[in-house]
Order: sequence, then C-alpha cells, then structure tokens
Amino acid sequence: MAGVWIFAENHEQTLELLNIGRQLAAEMGTTVSALLCRGHDRADDYINRGADEVLLLPPLADTQSLDAYIPVICEEAKKADPNIILLCATSRGKDLAARIAARLNAGLCSGCTAFKYDAESKTLIMERLAYGGAAVQKVTCVTRPVMAAIPPKTFEPAAHEEGRRGQVRELPGLASSTLKVIERKMKERQVTDITEARVVISVGRGIDKKEDIDLARQLADILGGEIACTRPISEELHWLPEELCIGLSGVQVKPEFYLGIGVSGQVQHVTGIRNAKVIAAINRDENAPIFKAADFGIVGDLYDVVPKLIAELKK
Amino acid sequence: MPTIIACFKWVVDEAYIRRGSSGELDFSSVDYKISDYDRNAIEEAVRLKETLGGTAIAVTVGIPAASKGVKDALSRGTDQAWFAADDTFGHLDSSQTAATLAEIIRARVGRYDLIVCGEGSGDLYAQQVGPRLAENLGIPCISFVQKAAIEKNMLIADRKIEEGIEVIAAPLPALVTVLPDINSPRIPGVRDTLMAGKKPAVTIRKDELPTVGDALLQTIDLAASRMERDCERFGTDASEISRFVDSLRKKAVIV
Repeated sequence: MAGVWIFAENHEQTLELLNIGRQLAAEMGTTVSALLCRGHDRADDYINRGADEVLLLPPLADTQSLDAYIPVICEEAKKADPNIILLCATSRGKDLAARIAARLNAGLCSGCTAFKYDAESKTLIMERLAYGGAAVQKVTCVTRPVMAAIPPKTFEPAAHEEGRRGQVRELPGLASSTLKVIERKMKERQVTDITEARVVISVGRGIDKKEDIDLARQLADILGGEIACTRPISEELHWLPEELCIGLSGVQVKPEFYLGIGVSGQVQHVTGIRNAKVIAAINRDENAPIFKAADFGIVGDLYDVVPKLIAELKK
Repeated sequence: MPTIIACFKWVVDEAYIRRGSSGELDFSSVDYKISDYDRNAIEEAVRLKETLGGTAIAVTVGIPAASKGVKDALSRGTDQAWFAADDTFGHLDSSQTAATLAEIIRARVGRYDLIVCGEGSGDLYAQQVGPRLAENLGIPCISFVQKAAIEKNMLIADRKIEEGIEVIAAPLPALVTVLPDINSPRIPGVRDTLMAGKKPAVTIRKDELPTVGDALLQTIDLAASRMERDCERFGTDASEISRFVDSLRKKAVIV
C-alpha cells in the first residue's frame, strides 16, 4: 500500500489539496486518498476530481474537537503506509498535522507553498518561507510518510473529470476525547475578504489616531479598493479587525496595486504583499524598509501627502 | 498551587538579516532575542502564576549564547530556569527540540500543571514544537489560544479558529500554544534584571541528556527571498504627486 493522502476541514480546501495531491501522485505513479470529515455526500465528486479512494471519517459529537480524529488517522496510516500526507494549514489543521507527525515519527513541512518531485532520488522537495519571509527554505523529509501543511488558497481547486472510478470506505468510530468543546462563538458578520481585492490601501503605525484611517478609506473608495493594516494596528491598538491584518501570520494579498500609508515595512508585513503587482509607500522616514520593497515611494508626512493625492486623483 | 512552564527559543532578530550580493542570507550584523511569540508565552505563565500562586519555570534548548535569553526570561518574572546548551542546538528540527524539552521536563522539572509555548518561533515558524511536545509527554494540547484560565484543575482556553472561537476544557496537566493577542509582554525594569541574576538557573550539557533521534526534516537550501522592485522616489509638491499618479496610470494599476 502507498499513496498520497489529503485531509482538509472544508470543501474548497479539499479541492485545493486534491489538485496538488493528484499532480504529485501522477509524478510518483501512485494513488490519491481523500480523508473526509464532513460532506460525505460529495465522495463521488471528489473521485471525479482526482481521488482514487475516499475515506469517510465518522462525524464528531458536538463536544468533540477536530483532534479526536488523530488516533483513527494514525491507525489507518500505520496500516496503509502512505508515501505522503498533505493537510490544509488552518489553525486546527496545523495542530492536527504536527501531532500526527509526532505519532508517526514523521517530518512535517509547515506552511508549504511549493513542491518538486525529484524522480531520480525519489525525494519530494518542499518549499516554505522562513525568517518572517526574508528567506526561502527548501526541505525534505527523512522518514515516511512525508508530511506537509499547506495554507488555504495556495493551489487552484482540482478540475472535474467525468467517469473516474474510485472506492469509498468508512473508517472506524472515534474513541472519547480528552478535550471538550464547551462553547463555539462563531463570527457574526463576514468581514471583507481582502485577498481578492484589486487595490489595497494599508495603514501602519504612522497614523496618529483611529479616525485618520478615514484617509485610507477615502483613497480606497476612489480607487475601488479595500483598506488593510499592519499587525500593531489590529493586534495592539485594535483599530481594525484582524481579518484586515496583512502579514506572514495574517492575510497575504495579491492586488494590482498596494499602497502603504505610514507603514514601516517590517519583513513579516512585506511578505504578505510580495505578490502585489505594484507596491507604493508614503512614509516620512526615508530609511523605512518599506521603500526597499516599493516600486514607488513618497518620502513625506502622510497628513500632507494623502490629501494632495486624494485631490490629484479626483481631478 | 500550580507549576507552570513556559518554553522559549533564542532566535536571530529577523529585522537584521540582509540579502548578500549573490542571494545568500547575510547574518553578519544580526542580533538575537527571545522569539516574540515566546514573550507572550512567558508573560502568560507569569500572569497565571501571579493570579493563582505557584511557580513559573522557563525552559529552553539552544546555543550557549542563549544564556542571555535565560536571564531575560527570568527578568520577565519566571522564578527559575532550565537551559539545555550546546553548540549543535542551534540547528535542531522541531521533533528534536520537542524531544529535548520533553526530556528536561520529565527528568528535571517533574510535576507540572501547564506548559505554555508560543504559537511558533520567530525564525523558522514551523509551529510544531508545542503540539509535538504535548504528544511526547502524552498530555492534551490546545493550540492557537487567545485566552487561558485554570479552574478547578481544568484548563479553559479560547482557541482561535477560522470561523470564530472554540472554548475548550482540558484536564491538567496540559499544553497550550498562545497567540500574540493573549497579552502584552512586560518590559523588564532595572530591578527585574537585577533580581533575575539571583534566581536559580540550571544549565544542562548535551552529554547529560539522552541522545535524541536524527532530524526528521532536513533543510537542503536556505536563501534570501527575492523582492525586486523599482524603488523610485517622489517628492511631496504638487508636480511630484501628479508624476506619482501618472506612474501608477502608466502601469495600468489605477484608472
């Protein structure tokens, strides 16, 4: 037995992992098994999108957390001996991945964003960012299975292909878990998703007070974009919700145009904007690191420059 | 009264890493620090201790120069420290770090109620040591916690997930990894630093520890990430602002 295993918490993420899992399985000449914790009625769809086998995990009780699956996944992995296990790096997915890796004595590439299979040495080379995004680290796993935790939206969803065949199998029930979920507080409103924004105007510590975020909002409105921020603005000052915080541990954006207002350009933030087409910055400190990461920079006081910029754009 | 352990890592301050002329990482002017996320872990251990009584213990594995970090951790309010030091401990993978920490905690610390780790380290940010350590010790693990309390020998923690928050209860002893928003780490004063020198800190040599296994994850390349941008500068008078806007229009990123 062998194969590429994938596990994600929801439908979209399952499709993303199916896509990369299927590519790797084709290169390695092996099969894809998808572990499902919900959406069991979609098994046939997953088969048509690249799964050769769908393994149905039993549903969780209300008080059980996702880690209740760890024993059953590890048991099954010991029997089936997969070459690779790919998990989606959501909060709970990352926790699950590290703990499964510990139990299987496996290496795990966290935050994995690219793969390269070397057919000659039969090794999977995985890529991730390190040092807050200042470096790219390439890693390999020494033992089997090779494990990777892949951030959501790293890969495109798998395409549908009619007429594929596969098996569906139910995995055994769950033991009781030590963790008990006593309450779930779900977010009431869905905050704007800035990952798809065409223009992003981000504010940093250079702004003096919360009300001044309005300057960024005016620019965003004129340019048809969204506002965002650096970590201190959301996490220390709580001036904007964390869903708008750009960075390695926050949201990563890929707009046509990014403008940083009073953003110093810490490496973690810059990592979150590296896929922007054009980066511009306004900052009064000419030595601010953001200018090294920007195509266009204006060295000046944002309270002087932004109103002028708004006036110019309105012309 | 509880014994609370905070694990931390002594890391390169990433703000000082430069990109060398041929794309290599230039560490020549770097400084070191306690990983930012681990400052939150230390603060949380100390905060719980100050609320409940008991002892807060700092534990780390690192290069001998990390003794500076041990002193820093003690000045941040922990009562004692265990430090496994060796020149080779700068390049352990997550499984080796977790195995070494587990060994120190089992063999040296003994009885404990809660282990607090940061959500990930500031350098490699693999986010694995906490959960792996919990597995090595066979205790419950709650990751990505933004609020923690101990009530009647149970840990009650708010875990942040994509859809919101899960409030989770776990029997002690347990391990949590904490997010930066759980607290604001204190800045040690002169008195704290002086007191730190009088607190017990034990350094453990590699030969005093059982051998840990080989690294499960091997780094085959580590290079500076590329960020090539035009870096064109503009002034602040009206003509320069207008030139700035023209440049954006030429790139067709704004209409």
